[in-house]
Amino acid sequence: MFGKLLKYDFRSMLKQFAFIWPAALVLAVVNRFTLSGLDSTSATGETVAAIAMFVFVSIMIAMFVIAVIFTVQRFYKGLLGDEGYLMHTLPVRPWALIASKLVCAVVLTVISIVIAIVSILVIVSPVVDIREIFHVLRWFWEALRGNTNVINAFLVILEFLLLLLVGMAQSYLMLYLAMAIGHLFNKNRAAMSVAAYIGIHVVVSMLLSSINNIFGDMLGDFLSDLFWGKSGYPVWQSLHMSLWFSILFVGIGGAVYFFLTEYILRRRLNLE
Amino acid sequence: MNELLVTCTGLTKRYGNKPALSGVNLELGRGRIVGLLGPNGSGKTTLIKILCGLLQPTDGAVTIDGQPVGPYTKSIVSYLPDRMYFADWMKATDLFDLFADFYADFDRAKAMSMCASLGVTPSDRLKTMSKGTKEKVQLVLVMARKAQAYLLDEPIAGVDPAARDFILNTILTNYNEEGTVMISTHLISDIEKVLDEAIFLKDGQVVLHNGVDSIREQEGKSVDALFREVFRARNYEGGNF
Repeated sequence: MFGKLLKYDFRSMLKQFAFIWPAALVLAVVNRFTLSGLDSTSATGETVAAIAMFVFVSIMIAMFVIAVIFTVQRFYKGLLGDEGYLMHTLPVRPWALIASKLVCAVVLTVISIVIAIVSILVIVSPVVDIREIFHVLRWFWEALRGNTNVINAFLVILEFLLLLLVGMAQSYLMLYLAMAIGHLFNKNRAAMSVAAYIGIHVVVSMLLSSINNIFGDMLGDFLSDLFWGKSGYPVWQSLHMSLWFSILFVGIGGAVYFFLTEYILRRRLNLE
Repeated sequence: MNELLVTCTGLTKRYGNKPALSGVNLELGRGRIVGLLGPNGSGKTTLIKILCGLLQPTDGAVTIDGQPVGPYTKSIVSYLPDRMYFADWMKATDLFDLFADFYADFDRAKAMSMCASLGVTPSDRLKTMSKGTKEKVQLVLVMARKAQAYLLDEPIAGVDPAARDFILNTILTNYNEEGTVMISTHLISDIEKVLDEAIFLKDGQVVLHNGVDSIREQEGKSVDALFREVFRARNYEGGNF
């Protein structure tokens, strides 16, 4: 059932982005040529280049703004608005509804980031030698590998990417929780969702700072032992430890938001 | 299979301090057409939404086919809400795909033939359809399932009398005869002739639940006439003019 939900969420995502993703790539290609027009001193060349650049930057910004709006809207309208009447009467459990929206939002963001990177590479390709970029990546890889073996270096990169994904998921889950709390009110639900979002931020930072105040010293020692080892770990091991700790830490936050949202949708659902 | 299809015990729902349902006790059997009758604000929609799992009761319990509301009950309940519940970019055929994926009892061929007889082109985008056509699509989705319970919230409220007959006819010719149909409405005279049972809901309480024939025998009047009597009395009782 989860797979079927994903299928429909991806379908609606593709409808939304079917235009903007190709548009970003096409404009990148246009910019690649208009920018090389800058070398010639013609004024028209410069104007065209400036306009093309402006459109490209606008599309880039629009892409990420739309990605966030889409994420919020697919949850708010799709589960808490009129479409919720359909989704919540399907024979699926609430966790699957939330997880499907989340997976879709994360994939959408990753694709948007990849498209942004590719577009920028296309644009700078006449000015910057792309091979240079690969040189830098290679240098980075060698530096990483120099301290350890290939497997470890590879794992560290994977762990770093995983941390990015978990972090992304956590921020989306925080949005979901805020909207779920907002929908519990019978009036001004959108405003209450915003208030809830701010509220969650405040609660989390208060919680973290009071933990820091009470257990700060102890935690500091514990973490430095964990990351660096009492008698000093090799660098790659410290990297593993700190990355996994971060993944766990961010992941627990995300899990808490997930379960609270799931609880609200399962036990407190309050569709208008 | 449980003999009773729907049971509600002490079902209560409050919105803040405002009660929408107060201690509703209800048992519904199978193979019945039941009218859930009451004026606006009497709790009809709230009751149906609780049975569908769209609202959680403040107190009391509900079972459908012996199970508490959850994925199983949702798989045997076909619900027609009082609003449009689909995304505009879809086509009716996209919705048929969705229903076929999630509900084992959805009959796609039947949906297509219902569309043909209702004059709906299923390959049209919902965005381009009129309100009436969208309502028909929703009715097709709901009635093309071989469900055990059909919960229809005000299916005839917003349409003209000719369309009412048309909709009722669609419901009556397509429902699963082993299943129970519950129709909520305040337009009793239009549906009285098709009902087996009537439930009167007043201020969130069941004030009457009886077979339509027994009502006619015992009260010597039609359900519509009895309804007018029961709910007119309320104004005099109030007396706060």
